[in-house]
Amino acid sequence: MSIGSLLNYFYTGLNSSNLLISIIFIIIYAILISIMMSIFAYMFGWIERKIIAKAQRRHGPNRVGKWGLLQNLADLIKLITKEKIIPENADPLLLNLAPILLVGIVTFIILLVPFSSYLQATNLGLGLLIIFVILGFTPILLFIAGYASGGKFAELGAQRSVLMLISYEIPMIIVVATVGIAAGSYNLSSIMNMQSSLFNVFLMPIGFFIFFVVMLAELERPPFDLREADSELIAGWLTDISAPYYAVALMLDYTRMFMGSLLIAILFFGGWTGPWLPGIFWLIIKAVIISLFIILIRLAAVRMRIDKILKTGWMYLLPLSIVNLLLTLIIVLK
Amino acid sequence: MAITRINIGPVHPSTHGVARLVVDLDGDTIVNVEPHIGYLHRGVEKLVENRMYMQSPPYMEKIDYVAPMAVDELYVATVEKALNVEVSEKAAYARIILLELQRIASHLFFIGSVTNDLGQSFTGFMWGFMDRDKILKLLENATGQRMFYVNMRLGGINREFPQDFEYQTKEFLDYLEKRLKDYENFIEKNPIFIQRMKGIGVLNIDDAINLGVTGHVLRASGVKYDVRKNNTYYKYSELNFHTKILSDGDNLSRFRIRMMEIRESIRLIRDSFYKIQKADGSMIGMPVKLFSPKPTNKISIVNRELPRGEGLMYMVADDKKPYRLSIRAPTFINLAALNKIAKGHKLADLFSIFGTLDMVMADVDR
Repeated sequence: MSIGSLLNYFYTGLNSSNLLISIIFIIIYAILISIMMSIFAYMFGWIERKIIAKAQRRHGPNRVGKWGLLQNLADLIKLITKEKIIPENADPLLLNLAPILLVGIVTFIILLVPFSSYLQATNLGLGLLIIFVILGFTPILLFIAGYASGGKFAELGAQRSVLMLISYEIPMIIVVATVGIAAGSYNLSSIMNMQSSLFNVFLMPIGFFIFFVVMLAELERPPFDLREADSELIAGWLTDISAPYYAVALMLDYTRMFMGSLLIAILFFGGWTGPWLPGIFWLIIKAVIISLFIILIRLAAVRMRIDKILKTGWMYLLPLSIVNLLLTLIIVLK
Repeated sequence: MAITRINIGPVHPSTHGVARLVVDLDGDTIVNVEPHIGYLHRGVEKLVENRMYMQSPPYMEKIDYVAPMAVDELYVATVEKALNVEVSEKAAYARIILLELQRIASHLFFIGSVTNDLGQSFTGFMWGFMDRDKILKLLENATGQRMFYVNMRLGGINREFPQDFEYQTKEFLDYLEKRLKDYENFIEKNPIFIQRMKGIGVLNIDDAINLGVTGHVLRASGVKYDVRKNNTYYKYSELNFHTKILSDGDNLSRFRIRMMEIRESIRLIRDSFYKIQKADGSMIGMPVKLFSPKPTNKISIVNRELPRGEGLMYMVADDKKPYRLSIRAPTFINLAALNKIAKGHKLADLFSIFGTLDMVMADVDR
């Protein structure tokens, strides 16, 4: 059976009129997506360590497996086999639920992403809005985890989480709305197809800049990693989370990065559009390049302070996002 | 809003050892910081009383483990003053070269740890440590040890410089000057770095003098005080260097002062290598024996410009052992400024302030 016919089979399964078949295929698809996410998270965990080591003139992991490829697996096994410790003041359910619910959020978002016209779980008309509604739960989950742990460092991390939420959520939604207006639709497929002639990054460079900055904050990547600032808050909301869940949270860092890169690739770099190769490859290649760029930022960036982030959000990003909206309206409507 | 009291340390990623800071927070703003010290107290001053004069340098080196030779030299100079031992011209230049190399190593450590405190993921840290490691290799070549040298002898150092030492050092200094440009572009001119450092932890000139801070903290506040100039020792008066001052007194000034001082130290080393060729006398001091010469001065006070500020030792001499040794550790005094300058800033800034004061807790606790 060729790949094309397999995909076709898959497509008919996903869009079957029989609810049961459709659900079974969606579950299979979700499992496939989870495997892909795990592979990506694993590889990027390794790639990040290697890239950063090179820039810092170290070797990076090079003992376990060829080129240290199995180092992360060894770390993972170590973390999973460690004892679970739950602090006295903590609410164990909420504390440990947060990383797992985050996995759910990330999987759900990636599930909504169409990888090619065949490979998509569903083709929602308002897919983009639903993604950002779900994404909006992330800081709240981190906030809950921070408060549930009962530790003061985690609580400070939780406070920062809320402060960051109010500083960047509004510009992000405005930019997303702008993209939707430019495409004339909130359907992810049509947003990508619309960009086949001109990528959104050229249409609205300001919007891309805002979205990229906001995504760094959303993904807790430096310079916006305040919620788990290691030199200040030890590990922020992760401080009291014990080893197995911490392993999940560590893997999650990279899956979230992949999710963010996918969103950036879809909204601003045309997603699956591109010559020669099938769409799915283009989408993943673009996401990988964006992820590498996000990793490079980590090398040089010094962590920003919370009041400066608030200032950046309200004084620069919000007005700029409105300017971006107006400019795009002028260009699109003429 | 209620005041939260959090306990930072003694085990925390950025307390530079085992400092414990009890911080009162209003939201994310610091209301009060109370440093608790003593977790690394070893009673060096008492230990010295039970040792012969030249048995103590290994203990002295552990006082400031980032710049061990500087403290060692301070102690040996105090003993030299008590026993009335002359240091030859050549030995003086040799000591200057080694001490300035040690100063650069300590400053590179500082640059690395400050960027780490600010949350840069170890890039500046690794760079600083890697260049420091090159100095440690040079010093290993010259003294035989990598970190704890114990190379000061009464009246000189323990052995002649190896033949390739001058060449290697000069080569390293050329390399370091290039690297300093990298540091400048990568760290000092980084906009977020400037945003995080400028106007944070301001210590004005009056407070600086009243609190008795020394070293780069004092010079960053605009006081032109450097023991090498103001109370000169060895051959520093004959060498060409400037005391750099800045007037802002904030974190950025303290960082920039350190960068400037590295450049001044490079000049000093180059100059010393030039002058040591014409210097008289031997580099090598007295061998370490159980019986040293009888002390002639009952009380001797020596101060030195250590990498972290002014270090001072007050020694009451006895026949074979010191009767009492009192150490003025620069970081102990500088730590007193922490509460004053950290108030009103965000919690994130506490660590950059603590970092730019350049704490070594072993030095604070002694």
